[in-house]
Amino acid sequence: MKIRFTLNGKQILVEVDAETRLLDLLREDLHHTGTKEGCGEGECGACTVLIDGRAVNSCLVLAPQVDGKELLTIEGLAQLSQSVSLSSADQGHKCGFHPIQRAFVEKGAVQCGFCTPGFIMSTYALLLKNPDPTDEQILAALEGNLCRCTGYLKILEAVRYAAQLMRGGK
Amino acid sequence: MDEQYVKIGSVEELFQSLQNPGAVILCGGTDLVLKMRKGLLSAKTLLDISDLDQLREIRQKCGCIEIGAAVTFSQIIEEAIIGEQIPILVMALRKLGSTQIRNRGTIGGNLVNASPAADSAIPLLLLDAEAIIANPAGERRVQLEDFLCGPGKTVLKQGEFLSGIRVPIPDPDFSLFFHKVGRRKALTIAIASLGALLRMKDDAIDEIRLAAGSVAPLPIRLYPLETLLAGRRVTPQLIKQARNIIPQCISPITDLRATADYRYQVIGDLLARLLLTMPN
Ligand SMILES: Cc1cc2nc3c(=O)[nH]c(=O)nc-3n(C[C@@H](O)[C@@H](O)[C@H](O)COP(=O)(O)OP(=O)(O)OC[C@H]3O[C@@H](n4cnc5c(N)ncnc54)[C@H](O)[C@@H]3O)c2cc1C
Ligand code: FES
Ligand code: FES
Repeated sequence: MKIRFTLNGKQILVEVDAETRLLDLLREDLHHTGTKEGCGEGECGACTVLIDGRAVNSCLVLAPQVDGKELLTIEGLAQLSQSVSLSSADQGHKCGFHPIQRAFVEKGAVQCGFCTPGFIMSTYALLLKNPDPTDEQILAALEGNLCRCTGYLKILEAVRYAAQLMRGGK
Repeated sequence: MDEQYVKIGSVEELFQSLQNPGAVILCGGTDLVLKMRKGLLSAKTLLDISDLDQLREIRQKCGCIEIGAAVTFSQIIEEAIIGEQIPILVMALRKLGSTQIRNRGTIGGNLVNASPAADSAIPLLLLDAEAIIANPAGERRVQLEDFLCGPGKTVLKQGEFLSGIRVPIPDPDFSLFFHKVGRRKALTIAIASLGALLRMKDDAIDEIRLAAGSVAPLPIRLYPLETLLAGRRVTPQLIKQARNIIPQCISPITDLRATADYRYQVIGDLLARLLLTMPN
């Protein structure tokens, strides 16, 4: 069947099977491999994307279900208006980074990086609704994301810093 | 697999499509997609009701709140009238899954899935909620207790679906209790859970309702305990008596998450915590 949806601001028209997961549509068919598969069972959050502004596990959504919806993946985040070049950490880099990405890099919240796109998408969904979250609210928003490397403290710091950057503070 | 997928646009279309052999309702998909992938369920046609507006409403109606079956947990948590009128529901749903799961998972899917650990069932049992069942002839309502019949089983007949849940608004004076014990705090399926509504009067328990999850084939009310505790003052003696009759109320099993003995112990401890910490 054919479905039509918006992916990172672009209209997409694509043929899918009924049982294809959104995760596979993104990675295999549309080559958006920033979204990762960890557990495939809704436990780890590596596959987190936004559908109509809400964070969801793309491993539990069937592709036809996104017909008519608006999707945002990690690839789309960098194109958003607030994005800037990554100033202090990587001067020469011309490509845009979203303030959340910049915060994760600057605060050392990325080690192997496998969980990072998922954490960043969950963080973005949180900050869309709540620009000034408490630590408790941050932890609740990230409870569906697992990281095997960082020990989470750096991630918490990065989210606090990202919130500050997005509110316009330095 | 060669399933068909249909996005359902109206209740009439749903009734019609349910006539087809092998048609299965799909809502948030948080249970169904995994079951399909594990080969535990095969469907000829998936009927996606997650965008069906009639099933996505929350409304207040004659002393009750009706919640459509396709309403997500996040919508319920964010809805102001639910927070004001039935806060025990919000309290329990905040502990269900993760943000991502709450954004997709629905109350209807949770109840029809009929897991012994279904977290939404605990507050709904405490509130004497009714399931609203739609069939081509009209609608019938059954108490949630009677709607659930066994792990994965409900009274829904061929051609019927759950259209929503009807929750009587409780007395605002009830104190609320919901506690879920699992392997960790976030994103955990309950090893055992206990919920309660309790009202004290003159140092004694005026009314108490208790419900527990993951300690019987289905989430259940603990009626023998409610009867024992009503009208009594909380004393160490009473707590001991209450612990002693727990085996009359629950029938836990040993599974990969915990042993039956551990579950008896946890329910006893949660009950003691409830009775010792409840305000007068
Ligand atoms: C990682 C993870 C963590 C979880 N944690 C918890 C937890 O802590 N507590 C908990 O209770 N649950 C938990 N769950 C399960 C929970 O997400 C589901 O039970 C959810 O509520 C099901 O809703 P859904 O809309 O996703 O249903 P679906 O998966 O779409 O459907 C579930 C079943 O219900 C049927 N169905 C759905 N709607 C209707 C209807 N209106 N009428 C008739 N049949 C219908 C479907 O045919 C299917 O059989 C978890 C799941 C995952 C994957
Ligand atoms: S891959 Fe989807 S939650 Fe782990
Ligand atoms: S950085 Fe390796 S899993 Fe999080």
